[in-house]
Amino acid sequence: MSETEFIVQLKNKSEQAYNKLLDDFQQKVYATCISFVPNTEDAEDVAQEVFVEVFKSIHKFNGVSKLSTWIYRITINKCLEFIRKKNTKKRFAFLQSITGNAIPMDKTSYFTDMNHPGVVLENKENSEIFFYAINKLPEAQRVVFTLHKIDGKSYKEVSEIIDKSVSSVESLMFRSKKNLHKLLENFYKNNN
Amino acid sequence: MKKNMNVEDNVKKTLNVLDTINTIKAPPFFKDKTMQRLFAEKDVIASVSIWNWFSPQLQLATLVCVVLVNVYAVKQINNSEYDASISSFASDYGISTEQEYSLFNL
Repeated sequence: MSETEFIVQLKNKSEQAYNKLLDDFQQKVYATCISFVPNTEDAEDVAQEVFVEVFKSIHKFNGVSKLSTWIYRITINKCLEFIRKKNTKKRFAFLQSITGNAIPMDKTSYFTDMNHPGVVLENKENSEIFFYAINKLPEAQRVVFTLHKIDGKSYKEVSEIIDKSVSSVESLMFRSKKNLHKLLENFYKNNN
Repeated sequence: MKKNMNVEDNVKKTLNVLDTINTIKAPPFFKDKTMQRLFAEKDVIASVSIWNWFSPQLQLATLVCVVLVNVYAVKQINNSEYDASISSFASDYGISTEQEYSLFNL
């Protein structure tokens, strides 16, 4: 079955087509979700939301990009939406409880309870710090860094997903690494 | 100096975490749960689709029409010419209350 035929079937809401879509994409979508949202339950919820969105919006898919690229875009949007919502809630709770000072890079300001099944136990503490630092990066840098470094996508794939040139992906990657280094340095300086 | 070395070491260790993150599989029954949710949503969408044509713009236009018709009707009722024409119409056809005769009124 060609991709065009497959998309027609998806648009017709064929159960068989969605079965195949889930077989092909559940792993990829879940892996991307857990890279952005390092908590099994939250990542599962977001991944489900992605497939529901695909189901609802497939009629808007015009075939300009590949189906996989379109699904990844939905995945990233859903993840960022989730993080934004959670961050707002956390910020609100924080403002209620405290009266001044900048929010430190710690567990209380992170949007979820870190629970990434791919992290080895001995690296748990370091990986927590690492994810807190990623959360402090500007959104564009965070997306590129997460897709390339955690989700393991190539620069070309990332550039297709975020609809930017490979050189801008490289530049975002360079800046994200630099900022991450700075964030971690500050964190360790303040905590030693 | 020693403190700076420690910081640099810690940063390196933290960044190296990236290489140790294992790839993970989707949770068991993820596909079944999602399929169930998708086709439950399909039923909801189908039932909602009856009113899909009645878009928010149409709803607003309908509301404006209803309000305008009501304003016009209220104006007409309050108009004195309207009362006069109603009473002349009633007297022409003998249905005016002034012309009613009753045994009790005698």
